[in-house]
Amino acid sequence: MKRGFVILLIAAMMLGLVACGNTNTTNTSQNTQNTAGTASTSENAGKTDNSTPTDSAAATDNSTAADSSAADAAEPVTITYCNFNASGGNEATLASMYEAFHEVYPNITVEIETVAYSDYFTLMQTRVAGGTAPDCYELNIENFASYAAKGVLADLSASDTSKFNTTALSAFNVNGTQYGLPGNFSNVVLFFNKDLFDQAGVSYPDSSWTWDDVQAASEAIKALGDDYYGIYAPITYNEFFKVAAQFGGSLLNSDKTMFTINSAENIAAAQMMVDRILVSNVQPTSEQMGGMGDWDLFESGRLGMIPTGIWAFNTFTDACDFAWDICVEPGQTQKATHFFSNSLVVNASSEKKDAAITWITWLASSDESAQLRIAAGWDLPAINNQDVLNGYLAITPPENRQAVFDSLNYLVVPPIIEDYSMMADIITDKLSAAATGTMTVQEALDAAQSECEAQITLK
Amino acid sequence: MKQSKWKSIPFLLPSLLGMVVLSLLPILIAIVLSFTDWNGLDKLNLATIQNEFVGFKNYINILGSAEFWQVLGHTVYFIVLYLPLAMLASMGIALLLNKGRKGTAFFRIVYYIPVLTSWVAASLIWKWVLSSKYGIINNLLALVGITGPAWLSSPVWAMPGIVLASVWKDMGFYGLFLLSGLTAINTTYYEAAKVDGAGKLTMFFKITMPLVTPTLFFCLIMSLINAFQLFPQVQIMTEGGPNGATRVVVERIYTYGFSYFKMGFASAYSWLLFVIIFILTLVQFKLQNGWVHYES
Amino acid sequence: MNHKGKKIADTAGFYLISVLMTIIVLIPFFWMLSTSLKSKGALMALPIQWIPEEPSVKAYRQVFERFPFIRAMFNSVGISVFYTGITILSASMAAFAFAKLAVPCKKVLFSLYIATMMIPTQVTLIPLFVIMNRLELVDTYGSVILPAVFRAFAVFLLVQNMKSIPNDFMEAAQMDGAKLGYIYWRIIMPLSTPAIASLSITTFMESWNDYLWPLIMLSDKKKMTLTLALNSLNGQYNTDYNVLMAGSLISMIPIVLVYTAASGKMKNGLMAGGIKQ
Repeated sequence: MKRGFVILLIAAMMLGLVACGNTNTTNTSQNTQNTAGTASTSENAGKTDNSTPTDSAAATDNSTAADSSAADAAEPVTITYCNFNASGGNEATLASMYEAFHEVYPNITVEIETVAYSDYFTLMQTRVAGGTAPDCYELNIENFASYAAKGVLADLSASDTSKFNTTALSAFNVNGTQYGLPGNFSNVVLFFNKDLFDQAGVSYPDSSWTWDDVQAASEAIKALGDDYYGIYAPITYNEFFKVAAQFGGSLLNSDKTMFTINSAENIAAAQMMVDRILVSNVQPTSEQMGGMGDWDLFESGRLGMIPTGIWAFNTFTDACDFAWDICVEPGQTQKATHFFSNSLVVNASSEKKDAAITWITWLASSDESAQLRIAAGWDLPAINNQDVLNGYLAITPPENRQAVFDSLNYLVVPPIIEDYSMMADIITDKLSAAATGTMTVQEALDAAQSECEAQITLK
Repeated sequence: MKQSKWKSIPFLLPSLLGMVVLSLLPILIAIVLSFTDWNGLDKLNLATIQNEFVGFKNYINILGSAEFWQVLGHTVYFIVLYLPLAMLASMGIALLLNKGRKGTAFFRIVYYIPVLTSWVAASLIWKWVLSSKYGIINNLLALVGITGPAWLSSPVWAMPGIVLASVWKDMGFYGLFLLSGLTAINTTYYEAAKVDGAGKLTMFFKITMPLVTPTLFFCLIMSLINAFQLFPQVQIMTEGGPNGATRVVVERIYTYGFSYFKMGFASAYSWLLFVIIFILTLVQFKLQNGWVHYES
Repeated sequence: MNHKGKKIADTAGFYLISVLMTIIVLIPFFWMLSTSLKSKGALMALPIQWIPEEPSVKAYRQVFERFPFIRAMFNSVGISVFYTGITILSASMAAFAFAKLAVPCKKVLFSLYIATMMIPTQVTLIPLFVIMNRLELVDTYGSVILPAVFRAFAVFLLVQNMKSIPNDFMEAAQMDGAKLGYIYWRIIMPLSTPAIASLSITTFMESWNDYLWPLIMLSDKKKMTLTLALNSLNGQYNTDYNVLMAGSLISMIPIVLVYTAASGKMKNGLMAGGIKQ
């Protein structure tokens, strides 16, 4: 009796599992067929699109393409789009962008879902693995490479990319295939507290500065008082790969087949970052930070300089009751500037790839969308149309907004590899060990090099 | 009571069905996945599982890595500090509230407030409370001339800091269950004891404690299971730092599964965690005969 | 006199400890309140502003302005009420069987219940999502409410409590020929009221604060719960602490109300049980 019951229970469960599995496999085979089908039509449509790159022309083009392929452009279609970048205050801007889009493409309806950044990627991974991913969505740089390598993103090589900033575009090109379009764009500049510079009697930083000048100014500002600090540059992978570039170093060799984390240039870069904390203490230790954020420290008026993203403009304008400005980030042997861009991608198994590509291309590169974005102060559009971008300069503070564009001349593309997050975590771990003094910089980077080699296979 | 075994099935049925479909099935799938190299992005179906089958590779890699034992050590360290403190604090709250004095209704709400706070808000609050410079604890210690530790930025003090936050947040939770256990004690027991001339202490140890042991046992098991799965507070307060001192098992599982796209590996990690929790819980269940008192 | 003195000391001790505990519990909470009233720049000012110098309710206004607050509140209440109701019903039935009846393979089955809690949800998330998708429950309220049917935690709690109910009551009733359904509903349930009240509070709260699962299941904005809506206030690069704290405080109000109501029930339930005794 007893045993019978247990067997029955287990059998029922197995039955359920097998049944699930069966329907699953049949579904997949259907899906692959569908995918193959849509892929070919999207290629056709894409080719015709490419020949006439302007927006309005593309629209008419879509309708001619409709005659040849199965009339999908003329028929109303509804696609889903999921993003995180609009959360935290820009949902209304995104909605107005969509309204403008829908006027140009009345047959394409987009259902927009905006999700908070913190759990967006858990959500997206679950939906992709569960087979219910939206037709198009947004990914940050860390996740983009992994998604592309795992084959869940559609090839966008055929889309119209003529209006994009080429550096930003190249970040989402994996071995010659364009898997994403740069949806927004932010770069990093050096923010400084003018009042503190005045008090310390140091002239304001400008684009001619190197990190040596920064060090001298930092020491003067630190001398103002106990709780004053010259600069805060986080000891993280993200900061490190850029500073390494400013010293002429890099994390990978040029064809991305080898790690070069412990090169002499990189060690010099890391040594400078760490010495600011451990030697001159112009940058606070984590203990001196007392668990607060670097922006908070700057906003409190006790920090001279902070290299951070231009997305800080709105917050600092609101929160700082002192004068501040920006300039192009100093370099050392050469200049290098960070940029952050999220990619807009299309689901490889979507059945409405054409419409999805039309939407994300419009969203990321059309003049209308770019103007709305600039007016809302919501990052920058990753486009090459300087006329539209000029609207951005009119807004103050900071007075020296031109520095945002000047910095574009020095963009450094992050070393995108499949196991990007793992590499970033390993390097951050070792660097923070160096920053607390438990390892020398040399030991830390040697350890990072060998751990990356052991854990990550480069292709 | 004497009746056929099968008469209980209707009562169990909804819960059993739910368990099979919503819990055992996903768990079974996770077992199977722990023997694969599944990246957590490929569509989850039989073909994927077959293609990416790797046998015991994940288990061998985990058990052979120093990291697993390290994060397990951190987790155990948390539990050793947390369990006694949490149980003492919750029992204290329950006894305090059970006295039925004036103002109990107010205190009962106050003590439950931390439980109602989400971990996101609570972690941020505690980051501030424990801040070495701006935090209340160190500022209070400074008043009496003690320089407080750096808490979350110190490898030694970060875990105790997380323990404090966790006890603060959980004591009302278990306290509430213990309180309901205390209120359920039949008052006739106390009356009978009073007639026999028993003192307060005798009544506490001979009546109150034995009769609340089933609930206490429940709290102990639940806090053990939950403590092994410690995660959100660590994620927000320290992100596993400083220098990996607060890196714990579930933080690793999440990172491997959702950040490094090694879901098969993460599943194997969870199964090893499961085995550990299961054995410890089993021991507790065996030991309960020694101290837990059930009505018969 | 001596007896009276002891009583006074007792009372004083009680209030001393209670007030001390209250302070420990409330100081962090007080900071939450104070942060929610601060403007952004004041968050890290030195010296620390215990009480904001220029308190403003701007953060609260932002919470109400940025999403359909009433709709989200309504969704949350609906989901939590159903979730709690189903949990209580299903768990109390199962607990009755485990605690008071003969069940085939009781030990194995009960161990299975407890064991399901030991697997981190992180690895069962995607499999469970796939199952929900098969059941065609994605983006329905059902997907968020259905998991209430099986809650091992609730069953375990009620089993522990029902085990302390003397069997005499049941045996007497059975002698009189009462059916099991009657015994469950009329005898065991009333006698378990304190545990059920505390379980209701916890369950309601968990469902109210639940974030990840509703986030994954519900993509339709109209179905958004309050917790989801509040989290959408955070951006990619920074968090507005004042808005976050304001949102958390607002979202706590309904649970405090439920808690107050249910913890009153704990007392009443005891009396109801007492009458039967």
